[in-house]
Amino acid sequence: MTEVVQVAKEFRVVGQPVARHDARDKVAGQTLYAGDWTMPGMLHGAVLQSPYPSARICRIETSRASRMRGVAVVLTAGDVPRNTLWTDLPGQTMVVGPLRSRLNVLAEGRIRYQGEPVALVAAETEARARDALEAIEVEYEPLPGVFDPEEALRPDAPRVHDEGNLLAQWRISSGDLAAGFARADVVVEGEYQTHFVDAGFLEPESGVAWVDADGVVTIRVSTQVIEHFRDVAEVLGLPHNRVRVIAPYVGGGFGGKEDVTVEVYLGLLTWKTKRPVRMVWTRQESLLARTKRHPFRMRYRTGALRTGELVAQQIDLLSDAGAYAYMSALVALYASVTAAGPYRVPNVEVNARVAYTNNCPTSAMRGFGAMQVVLGYESQIDRVARAVGLDPKRVRETNALRRGDTLPVGQVIERHVALPELLERAWQALGDPTLPRAPSVRVGRGVACNMQPYGRLVWLHDWASAWIGFEMDGTVVIRTGVPDLGAGQASSLCQITSEVLGVPMEHVTIHIADSALTPLAGTTTGTRQLYMSGNAVLVTARNLRQQVLEVAAQVLNAAPDALTMAEGEVRTAEGRAVRLPEILRHCAKLGVPRTHLGVYHAPSGEVVDLSKGTGKVFPDYAFGAHAAEVEVDTETGKIRVLKYAAAHDVGRAINPQSVEGQIQGATVQGLGFALMEEVILEQGINLTTSFSTYLIPGVLDVPDVEPVIVESGEGAGPLGARGIGEPPIGPPAAAVANAVENATGIRLTTTPFTPERVARALGAVTGEDGREPVPEDHSR
Amino acid sequence: MATALDFEYVAPASLEEALAELGARDGDVKVLAGGQSLVPLLNYRLARPSTIVDINGLPLAGISMDDGWLRIGALTRHVTLQHSPEIRAACPVLADAAALIGNVRVRTLGTLGGSLAHADPAGELPMVMVALDARLTLRRRGGRRIVAARDFFTGILTTTLGADELLTEVEVPLTSGAGYAVEEFARRAGDFALVAVTALVRIDRRGRVDDARLAIGGVGPVPVRSIAAEEGLRGQEPTAERLAQVAGAAARALDPVSDAFASGSYRRHLTAILTRRVLTGAVARAMEAA
Amino acid sequence: MKIEFIVNGQPREFDVAASETLLKVLREAGCWEVKEGCGEGVCGSCTVLFDDQPVSSCLVLAPLARGHSVITVRGLQENGGSLHPLQEALIRHGAVQCGFCTPGIVLTAFAFVERTPDVDREAIREALAGNLCRCTGYAKIVDAIEAYVKGVYG
Repeated sequence: MTEVVQVAKEFRVVGQPVARHDARDKVAGQTLYAGDWTMPGMLHGAVLQSPYPSARICRIETSRASRMRGVAVVLTAGDVPRNTLWTDLPGQTMVVGPLRSRLNVLAEGRIRYQGEPVALVAAETEARARDALEAIEVEYEPLPGVFDPEEALRPDAPRVHDEGNLLAQWRISSGDLAAGFARADVVVEGEYQTHFVDAGFLEPESGVAWVDADGVVTIRVSTQVIEHFRDVAEVLGLPHNRVRVIAPYVGGGFGGKEDVTVEVYLGLLTWKTKRPVRMVWTRQESLLARTKRHPFRMRYRTGALRTGELVAQQIDLLSDAGAYAYMSALVALYASVTAAGPYRVPNVEVNARVAYTNNCPTSAMRGFGAMQVVLGYESQIDRVARAVGLDPKRVRETNALRRGDTLPVGQVIERHVALPELLERAWQALGDPTLPRAPSVRVGRGVACNMQPYGRLVWLHDWASAWIGFEMDGTVVIRTGVPDLGAGQASSLCQITSEVLGVPMEHVTIHIADSALTPLAGTTTGTRQLYMSGNAVLVTARNLRQQVLEVAAQVLNAAPDALTMAEGEVRTAEGRAVRLPEILRHCAKLGVPRTHLGVYHAPSGEVVDLSKGTGKVFPDYAFGAHAAEVEVDTETGKIRVLKYAAAHDVGRAINPQSVEGQIQGATVQGLGFALMEEVILEQGINLTTSFSTYLIPGVLDVPDVEPVIVESGEGAGPLGARGIGEPPIGPPAAAVANAVENATGIRLTTTPFTPERVARALGAVTGEDGREPVPEDHSR
Repeated sequence: MATALDFEYVAPASLEEALAELGARDGDVKVLAGGQSLVPLLNYRLARPSTIVDINGLPLAGISMDDGWLRIGALTRHVTLQHSPEIRAACPVLADAAALIGNVRVRTLGTLGGSLAHADPAGELPMVMVALDARLTLRRRGGRRIVAARDFFTGILTTTLGADELLTEVEVPLTSGAGYAVEEFARRAGDFALVAVTALVRIDRRGRVDDARLAIGGVGPVPVRSIAAEEGLRGQEPTAERLAQVAGAAARALDPVSDAFASGSYRRHLTAILTRRVLTGAVARAMEAA
Repeated sequence: MKIEFIVNGQPREFDVAASETLLKVLREAGCWEVKEGCGEGVCGSCTVLFDDQPVSSCLVLAPLARGHSVITVRGLQENGGSLHPLQEALIRHGAVQCGFCTPGIVLTAFAFVERTPDVDREAIREALAGNLCRCTGYAKIVDAIEAYVKGVYG
């Protein structure tokens, strides 16, 4: 039986597809991104990247570069006050060891990946900075490297770090696996392999830094995390309150701007030269050396009854951390917690390992580990369906989590899970089947569901703050440290505020993402921002409303509870109204603040021992279901997605148009991952450092994604919202794999599903290189 | 984008001046036409010419008919090749090939001469010129020579064009009455092709192949003209079986290199598929024309 | 070298090195709306109209612009700053997320519709084939242009 929860549409602004306030400037070309900023006397910075994936630095000679006309400074590791960057979430590192990771700002004698930063320059022009890079002499001694996680874990593998190549392990165990498999009527085994991809944001890493009039190092940078001011301060050996990070509107993040990118270089260069410095990475530099998505090798063993009911899941995960840990341990944790999928499975064992290699470092990327495992669990459940002869949708419905079920990690699902409805609606949205357009073409359909955590691990005690104030004329200002990556993060907060305070959207102004001037709200990552800053703004706006209504009650001679705020007025039940400026004058007269600083604390918990299956890990999960219709050209192997529907339970859609845009954008990014994006590393050398070789989907490569919004009203976010930034990127690869199986009978298990891979799986192409006989008959 | 700082830039106003520049200069001299291939190399400092000769001011665009040949100036932009009514009427396969090039921005500025001189092994225009047996006019100070397309391309990104020579004009035969087709297989719309194929076919009154041209790009250092395949078609009835057979043979004759993006055997396989499809398309058009 | 060309209807003079690209020259002259995304003409963020046709400004060496007309997205607005109907359409349809690809897409769509006013959705999609967007999944961009073609925004 499915539980369908209806959400009352009682709001004025929330729930409306209002045009976002930042859209106007963007479409007019007025928005100043991080690289569009100039300061008088500005220098240009550039980074020297190592050409080798594993090497010792024997010698660096910078004098020729330093002496060039127009070169202000050349820095190497020895010039950095504290040459260490920590990936550190405040409050957690003392608790869970492997979540803390360190790396050098500039390489100190040892290179561990191609592109590792070796030196920094600042010069009068960009061209001169690049000339200076070329004039730096570095003598490298190439060293053996290891480029496969499995090989890296062998005892004789070259060590990427002295402490060994095993970075982290997680184990989740619930129930009795052996007993589970003993009951199973069918056991399905599968191995899946995902690959390195790049965030591919159109705005490369960029920023400008300067030392302001008070000597504060100020960095205006494209980032998802303004809290990195702490990291820069540590590196410079400055007190934390002497570094300021400002994030302008960001041209795409997707997790690739979650770690420190250029801000630490900018901080160093401006601090050393005492002049403003700009750094903008080229696409080549970005594709070469910026953090990528973790490849996962996933081995699944799934037991089920003839009814399709799942009874056991044994899962083994191995991910490639690349040369430095960054967020790798945390990504593997997310993958482990969600590896069994959004299903009720009584007996589960997950073993996850993370290995260092000399590949490009991997870190946060949209979906964060919970994305890659979707291919595993959604392929498996389709295979189970095939094994027991039942419809794949039916088997999913049979096993779908419901409120009250317990996850393998021990967390009880407290909120509504809309999966059956999501699945049904996504499937219906595909409409009538498309007929194959040629004899060599097959058409098929597939589905995939997913669960994506939103909000931080509960033991990180997450919080977010916001300040909201009325001006005397009744207009409103919001201040909150929220980086806006383009998903309407800031605009949603204006909508919530407008709703609560009864003030038109045009009268709300928001200032965001300045670590010195806006109350901190935490990172725009992990689908936490609407949840956290949305709740912070909600709590703050409500408190402010209460403050104002208590004064208005005196003015209007009514109880505060009987008053409403709408259209810039305060109204009684009988219809008497006073405009806000008058109320605010009374506030001033009475000494009642017209502003409020609020904090939202996420419900928190203590550290969970995952292997004991004892408790809550994430605040909540977002559920989705996708349906794909694909065409497979059985001769060339090319997959074309003909139709695609993506259904998500967003709790409440603060702005339905923004929600649709997120669903469509994330889904297309997922299709890119499934079909054409690939960072190709051969022995640690990156062969795809250009947008002509690293292929992100263009409009003709994907269909229009039909977004389906379900609002169960039960999210942990403001007004019942759940997050939507990450969830839609999870299902596409699995939905396509399942559709391809439906069309052709072949099961694709290695991403991306390139035409060559498909052609080989179909048996159309055999042999490696060299002269293989081409079959005579091509008339099929 | 930071480019290499020091090159000399000259913009001759006449062909004579341009040839004089090319003839007189030492060092690495690059000709600038559309810039679509050259400027990315400059942006990433992969090319460091000592001199750039900007030929955009020369009167080298223009399309005219001459004695069964279509004469096209080397500075003709791809977008013009794509939309020109004369080219559509006289040599439509060239218009179709131009439409496959890159994206709209590349086609706005990219030129016929630039594309041929760049000699990308997967380039659409080099392949089509080889299929058409086009004649390329190369001029130098005090002289000129005509080179057959097949002799022009000598290796990956390499042609017989001398350092003191300029490609000024291309002549292609009128192909009205011939069936034609050009297709390429790319991972993404507008990408460089893994394999590209062009075919032209004439069918006689008895329904047999009178003449056939087949060229394949992306499978070797230069476009491949499948003479054996053409001979296999001449005088034959172009049945589906025959076309498939010829396509398979054409593919088997190749030994494409494997790289990170596709293996040699997959390229060979694609060649067979695409060749069959292109021949089928060309034959269908030829039947219509007959 | 000194070169002159028209930018958004105004004749301008620039002092450039031959090795500078039009993208760089425009940005240094304050045209921040022209973005750099890839340096090789693939992404479309640097699109400007060059004699009314879309080109990658990152691939135009500055001297080539001499005597030509260049239009950036700011050139589409009326004097007095009201947005072009195409720009209104993109806002209304939620087609603008991070906005980095937007100026290039606006110009590409504008030039295309000017050339071929009566187009269907498929033709619009083909016209945008060379412009990459990482945020929107393209659907709302195409929706907006379709509405613009139908004259919904004037």
